[in-house]
Amino acid sequence: MKMKHLLLFAGIAMAAISCDRLLEFEPGDVILAEDAIQDTDDLQRLLVSTYDVLANLYGGRVQIINELRGPNFGAPDNSLDFTAVYNRETTFFTGINGGAYTDFYYAIYRSNVLIENFQFVTDLTAADELRLEAEARFVRAICHWGAVKIYARPYGYTPDNSHPGVPLRLESSQDPLPRAPVGAVYTAIVEDLNFALQNLPATNGVYATQHAARAYLAQVHFQMGDYALAASYASSIIESGDFALDEDLDRFETDMINTETVFGIVSQPNDFRSSWFRDNLRSDNTSSPQLAFSEDFAFFMSLSGAGDARSQWYTPGTRALCNRFNNKEYFNIPLAHLTLMHLIRAEALAETGLELSTAIADINAIRDRAYGPGNFILPESATAEEIRDAARDEFRKETAGEGHWTDQLLRRGTMGEDILIRDASWDCPGMSLQFSNSENTVDGFVLNEEGGCL
Amino acid sequence: MMAIRIHSASLFIDDAVLGVVYFFESISLPRKPHLMRLKSILLLLILSSPLIGFGQTLSGTIVDAQGNPLPSASVIVDGTDGQFAGMDGSFSLSLSKGSHQVSFSFIGYLTQKRSVDIQNTSIEWSIVLEEDAVMIEDVVVVGYGVQRKKEVTGSIVQVSAKQITGIQTPSFEAALQGQAAGVQVSQSSGVAGSASLIRVRGVASVSAAGDPLYVIDGIPITQEYFLRGNSGAFNNNPLASINPNDIESVEILKDAAATGIYGSRGANGVILITTKRGRKGTSFEFSTRAGFGTPATRPNMMDTESYLTLRQEAWENDGGTGYVWLPNMTSSSDAPLTRKEAYLQAMQTNTNWVDETTGLGTKGNVNFGVRHGGDRYNLYAGVSQDNNGSYLLGNSYNRSSARVNFDWTPKPWAKVILSSSLSRGQNNRIDAAWSGGLGDAMSNALPYYPVRYLEDQVDANGTVTNEAGEYFLWFDEWGSTKNPVAVRELKQWKNTEDRSINNAQLVLTPLKDLHVKLSGGFDYMHLKEDLFNPGALSITSDLGSANRNANYVLNWNYSATADYLLELDDTQTLNFLVGSEFQRTDNYGYGLFYGQVDGPIFENDSLSDDAANVNRTVNLPSQHSFLSYFGRVNYALKDRYFVQATARVDGSSRFGRESRYGFFPSLSAGWVISDESWFSSKHVNFLKIRTSIGLTGNAALPDYARFGTYSPANNGNTYAGDSILYPIQPENPFLRWETSRTVDASVEMGLWQDRVTLELAGYHKYSTDVLMNVSTPASTGFTNFWDNVGTILNRGVEFSIKSRNLTGAFQWNTDLNIARNYNELIDIGDYTPDAVSGGTNDSRVIVGRPVGSFYLVEHSHVDPETGLPVYLDLDGNETYEYSNDIRKYVGDGLPDVIGGMNNTFRYKNWDLSGLATFSIGAKIFDSSAKRQLGVVTGWNMREEKLDRWRQPGDEATYPRLTLDETTYSLPSGFPWWNTSLFIYDASYIRLRNVTLGFTVPLPPGSTMSACRIALNATNLLTITNFPGLDPEVVRDFENAQDRNMSPNVTYLTPPQERAITLSISTTF
Repeated sequence: MKMKHLLLFAGIAMAAISCDRLLEFEPGDVILAEDAIQDTDDLQRLLVSTYDVLANLYGGRVQIINELRGPNFGAPDNSLDFTAVYNRETTFFTGINGGAYTDFYYAIYRSNVLIENFQFVTDLTAADELRLEAEARFVRAICHWGAVKIYARPYGYTPDNSHPGVPLRLESSQDPLPRAPVGAVYTAIVEDLNFALQNLPATNGVYATQHAARAYLAQVHFQMGDYALAASYASSIIESGDFALDEDLDRFETDMINTETVFGIVSQPNDFRSSWFRDNLRSDNTSSPQLAFSEDFAFFMSLSGAGDARSQWYTPGTRALCNRFNNKEYFNIPLAHLTLMHLIRAEALAETGLELSTAIADINAIRDRAYGPGNFILPESATAEEIRDAARDEFRKETAGEGHWTDQLLRRGTMGEDILIRDASWDCPGMSLQFSNSENTVDGFVLNEEGGCL
Repeated sequence: MMAIRIHSASLFIDDAVLGVVYFFESISLPRKPHLMRLKSILLLLILSSPLIGFGQTLSGTIVDAQGNPLPSASVIVDGTDGQFAGMDGSFSLSLSKGSHQVSFSFIGYLTQKRSVDIQNTSIEWSIVLEEDAVMIEDVVVVGYGVQRKKEVTGSIVQVSAKQITGIQTPSFEAALQGQAAGVQVSQSSGVAGSASLIRVRGVASVSAAGDPLYVIDGIPITQEYFLRGNSGAFNNNPLASINPNDIESVEILKDAAATGIYGSRGANGVILITTKRGRKGTSFEFSTRAGFGTPATRPNMMDTESYLTLRQEAWENDGGTGYVWLPNMTSSSDAPLTRKEAYLQAMQTNTNWVDETTGLGTKGNVNFGVRHGGDRYNLYAGVSQDNNGSYLLGNSYNRSSARVNFDWTPKPWAKVILSSSLSRGQNNRIDAAWSGGLGDAMSNALPYYPVRYLEDQVDANGTVTNEAGEYFLWFDEWGSTKNPVAVRELKQWKNTEDRSINNAQLVLTPLKDLHVKLSGGFDYMHLKEDLFNPGALSITSDLGSANRNANYVLNWNYSATADYLLELDDTQTLNFLVGSEFQRTDNYGYGLFYGQVDGPIFENDSLSDDAANVNRTVNLPSQHSFLSYFGRVNYALKDRYFVQATARVDGSSRFGRESRYGFFPSLSAGWVISDESWFSSKHVNFLKIRTSIGLTGNAALPDYARFGTYSPANNGNTYAGDSILYPIQPENPFLRWETSRTVDASVEMGLWQDRVTLELAGYHKYSTDVLMNVSTPASTGFTNFWDNVGTILNRGVEFSIKSRNLTGAFQWNTDLNIARNYNELIDIGDYTPDAVSGGTNDSRVIVGRPVGSFYLVEHSHVDPETGLPVYLDLDGNETYEYSNDIRKYVGDGLPDVIGGMNNTFRYKNWDLSGLATFSIGAKIFDSSAKRQLGVVTGWNMREEKLDRWRQPGDEATYPRLTLDETTYSLPSGFPWWNTSLFIYDASYIRLRNVTLGFTVPLPPGSTMSACRIALNATNLLTITNFPGLDPEVVRDFENAQDRNMSPNVTYLTPPQERAITLSISTTF
């Protein structure tokens, strides 16, 4: 009897619930990574997402970070994050530097994933593959460059640029990486941009083009002190005839691409990519915006008098309110534009001492627009040094709020000039923002030295 | 030897006597005198018909020490004949002439034996049974069954209903505090309905949920604390909707032998909740409670004069001249005259924001229950209404609940058991802690801010900008509109939780000794949060915005078990249990946001139809399931040697195919030494040792953590009008079970016929593959990654003693338990302490230290000459330089020793009990003090700040006052002074509960069988060195990881409440 009971008992046990498929659940509101990239369209959408990250970075955030490190912006109203950047005392607890750093590498990671997935897509044409890779490497280059300028000492800080830069991510990996030397980072950036130049289309809607690659090569080489190359790439943009200086001095257009824009961020009514500018700088929204130009910048601008059309961009005062973005809810943001190319070429040529007449013409084109034709023009007899100084003055004015000026000061510091930025040496530690705290989660990553700029 | 079983064949006995349904467990009864009670029960089953009477009558009542009748107590005559007492404890026996031995017994009480000589007259007795401290013959609920306490080889603590309902708590689980050794219950804050934090034998998880598994009537219930995240500084409490009055008993399973049968979910302990069931006969229970609550402690914030004085001093210390600028009135760049006028104006107002946000919370509770039973059925039905107003003005949690438990035995071989509860909890919400309310009163609500404008405000153009009587609103440093009174009165916010837990079981006994149970359970939870922010709080808009967020959690559970008893011979039995179980949980919801509306959605459901101005989000189901196979074998030899082996194979959808299944075995043994023939002691009447070893697991991680995922195809996100596709999280196909190996050993002892009982236990719990949601380098393209990273050690000892110090007319009982736990994070791979953090709480993972240690800059002292803070670097050298590079372990929130002591005094109809709980050795990080006692900012300060440095030579606790954080070497823009200055000793002893009770004597023939009146007070006294609000903290948490990592961190957390209630409970 007992055996019979045992058998029945065992039978019941065997009949118990048994089905492994009951344990198969997959998320319903997302796509599994293995299914995400099936065709060229998926690759294209992944590529667009890298531009999307760029827009989140350069919709004002990176520009503001860069201006806050430099002399053009005054003390923030009360934002703790902005104040930390302004005082050049960021830590890995400060949100703004960690957030921007993360976004740079979001875009880089996506670019790498895009390139690595070509082999899994069957409908990909050779032409599309080249174009996609070129765009991906273009974005990767911009982001590596943006990161290395903010989180590392500038190019030229050491003679061989062996000082620590940022992690150089040329393939997707979850393995931690140490900081690559700045020189290595710049080498990769230039390689990516050169590849992009060779393989990007001439026209590509709002996305990267050959001109965009050239414009960035001009900027990168200018930053590296390769003035001849910088001038050459800038010339190819200027001489292309595809762009024209905007006579109304407003490059931040709503619902249209400005004639100067070589590459930029597109902002639409439903996404407000330009909201960092709008919310923190517009003086027509509030009498006390979070950010404003510094007294020093206002004084500098005032030197050229009221005849300078750019004087409309600010309201004089100890907190010189910024008017450049007023009356705009959203607008496109040029990152590389014709004015910038003129000014880079002018200064680069002045540095090389070659084609000074071209450099003078570049400056006068800018001044004609600012002061009216014939006013404040640089004489043809101007020396290289005068051209360089004029180029720098116009650069600072024309790019007010665009986040370029601090990098120029750092470049000049590496060239041996005695540069002070708000009474602190250009190479004080805090000029390099601290990394995201997440970089500190694995042994071996060297963080930046903090503070020392007050 | 004779063996009987308490399961299907005798269910109605169980129900009548125990009020608990017991299945599938065989109880072997040797022929020993003290084990005869259950045998007697069986006899009563057979002989429960009226006894054959030949002589006179022996009658009377059986009551406990308080005079409460013991319904269905058993009366056995000469070991053969007997009956159950009635619901009023009465009995009546017709006995033949001559001498008889009569024994009276009731579960949980010592059997009383008396001799009676029956002659020609009837005899009436009043039998008073004393509580049995050990109750070795009692059964306790274990996983998928019950066991006699004597043969239990695992570590299990039973908590009775009386211990749970006798105290006013925000939620029933809080009442477990101090009741069980090694079970740390940190009571929730004063927010109504908030959750306590329970840790069984330390913290063994980091990112996976570390809470014990809750099982109600066999159904593992939904335990979602973060359905609404940390909205308003409040975590949803899934246990708040459970009516404590429905609970019959709670068993806490602690070691691997006890929890092993729950396998993958037993690593952090299991709490089994058994609800009330019907009994034979009919009885009604009615109870009501009313009372009030106030803050157990009050924050000592500064008044206007003190605040302005210190602010002025800070200004002058920083080199300022004239009057200091004041937040929301002036700025540092204002002219001196402007600042002076503002200062003098500010002095005219002195608002006590603590008074404005706290008050008297009222409590009311009504319960009604009926128990009814016959030969083939039992019914328990209960309804309850509980209104719990907290001392935080505007905050209350109201619960309406009903339960029906029904048992039906249509055939001797079949039984149907149904359990169903329905409840609605409505939480009338307020902002708390960092979100506002009292939190504002302790931070940004400065005393010179008025609640309302006292007169019209006119700008430079003569325009009235604010009229007298309007709320004075200000912005905090994050740009939020503030004024806790205005927000409370204008904002409409409520959470509604509908919950229904249901269970149907079919128990079959197809053959002798074989029992099959099929069970299906369904746990439904619907949480809905409605919030309306009126335009008046946005300053710029006349209309407001309305939100609704709804979550549905559907939890199905199916199980099949078979139990078989095999008697090998007269001295040996084997009891087999095998089973399988499947559980599936779906969690989904939706969100609605309406802009430009004038009222909340719950007052105007038609808003839902207005598609023009609504933003809808739908959360597709997040699903997980467990498929389990388990078995248990119990071997008993001579009723004193016990061996148990359990094994469970768990499969979880949360893991990939390669590591989907985990195997969790346990082996345990017990030896009742006192039953050995050679054992003889005048003092020790019971001695048992037991030991166990086993593996348990934890899989409480997000459902889809293992998948690499991308955004959905139609995610609606675009750039320049083009759709985008982007990665969300990296995959980790190698995620596997978090596993704990636990070794446990204990000694149980009864002295002087159980007048004193002791238990001493030790354990060693080694957890490997601990799941961590590590912060990964952002340069990888992601910021977080789930991985099996850690190793954690918990080891400790537990001691408990129950003593009947005085017996007789005046009784005094003492229950004491005390536990010591050592917790150490053994390994976290190549990660640094910052890889896992406790949200904003500065707790980190530090190898060699407890989980969630505080990782801060160490403060040394205030320099008497300069008044500046002096820190200690990593080498212990003094420095003025504050740097994140010199953060170090400065303490942890885990106590070394916890425990509770309950003393009960009884005299006639009066009883007085007091429960003291204590915690020793934990530190508390007063995270709000770093702003309240640090740099002078737009936060109000606490009065301790008066002990600051003022001039050279001062020995002060706090440094020179400053408005500039760089004075303390903090980075500019960073006033968060994260130093060990705000680490405090959190040791405390707290008079948790005092109850004075009176059992009303009832006249003979009264329809009422019991009536008790009790006055209860909680948190009357706390002895601690902690200078802050409350040394026992459960703050709002961001997620499960934060809940594990940040015990004893307080951030504007409301203190617990002190409640005084009067209750009446009756049975009739």
